[in-house]
Amino acid sequence: MNFFLYINRKLIIFFVLFLIFAFAIFVFYKQINLNNIKVENLNNNFSDADISEPKFAINNESKKINITATEGNFLSQNKVLLKDNVRFKSNDFSIETEEVIFNRDKQTAHSKSKSLFKSKNVTIVSDGFNIHDRGNKIIFYGNSNLILK
Amino acid sequence: MKIFLKLVIILLISFNLYSREIGETEITTEDGIEVFQEEKFYLLKKNVIIESDNFTLSADDVKINFDKNLYDITNLYAEGNVSFFSNDFAMNGNGETLNFKIKTEKLRVQGKQSELITKDVKMFSDGFIEVNNLNGDFSLKGSNSKLINESIIIEAYSIDGNFVDNNNIKEITFLEVYDEKISYVKNNDTEMYAKTINFNNNTSIIELIDNVTIIRNEEKITGDYGTLDTMNNSYKIKSKNKNKVKAIIQDNEQ
Repeated sequence: MNFFLYINRKLIIFFVLFLIFAFAIFVFYKQINLNNIKVENLNNNFSDADISEPKFAINNESKKINITATEGNFLSQNKVLLKDNVRFKSNDFSIETEEVIFNRDKQTAHSKSKSLFKSKNVTIVSDGFNIHDRGNKIIFYGNSNLILK
Repeated sequence: MKIFLKLVIILLISFNLYSREIGETEITTEDGIEVFQEEKFYLLKKNVIIESDNFTLSADDVKINFDKNLYDITNLYAEGNVSFFSNDFAMNGNGETLNFKIKTEKLRVQGKQSELITKDVKMFSDGFIEVNNLNGDFSLKGSNSKLINESIIIEAYSIDGNFVDNNNIKEITFLEVYDEKISYVKNNDTEMYAKTINFNNNTSIIELIDNVTIIRNEEKITGDYGTLDTMNNSYKIKSKNKNKVKAIIQDNEQ
């Protein structure tokens, strides 16, 4: 009798399916890595940022809010689009997000990306924020979550 | 498989990262938060839910005043479909608006069909219900104001009084009830009507002024002024018209 007739047919099908699945995951994983490498290379070689690691500040009578980011692009004479690791920091609080439009003249900031506000015993997560009135008024947009410790 | 595991871990972390832990208060809103740093208040907008270990509140919008930092709350004002539960005060309620002053522990629920329910007392009003948790003062003003506890039912436009804790049971020490039309008090088996009804726990006397009616069992006595002694359950009624008969009826069981 043929040797292969002793092997359970279901087992063979399961094994073949497993191989196909594993191969698909392998290809998918490699593809992701390749895409990342391509994007990274493009970013490294053709960064279109106007300013690298920009620093700005919002000043009012009682406090100063320092603004930093990885890069920035001028949208107009006074409007700057800040991107990647954007951070607002004062003595009282900090706000972290990925993209902000900062108006140097009006000293306002507007973000539509997920934001994290932290101060002593307080955390706010929101879908964006708006800072105006020289930092006195902060509006957090959308579904917001505030934790008081 | 690693990717799958990473995804599971990331999802688990992101779900738990900003959820409330014991001792913390979590506030969620659907339309954001406005923080006014110099004016020291913040506005919580649309479908607000506040949850802590011992307190839950939901409302359309909430304004919170703070002292030094956002967590340092001095006053909470909730507006629109307010509903709350406090484990610390063994209290729940609802109304159109709620104002809670943290330092003085003064709570005010306002609006149509306002309710304030504690372990021993139920309060209802279409005007407002105000309770001071520190000194036990309470006040109900407005139409359909009603206070119910184990031994008494009060209905009037204006109900003012004071509670004291006696072995974890809230007892009324004084009461001032007024209604331009008529106030109603039911105490055990006696029903009392008058424009003004006062009670003082020190004298154990319920005083009834203007348009007085006392109903007990089958008896119904009317007059202009009456008193009921809650110690011996006897009452007196007087009338300005001297031709009317005064009635003094002693409880047979005494």
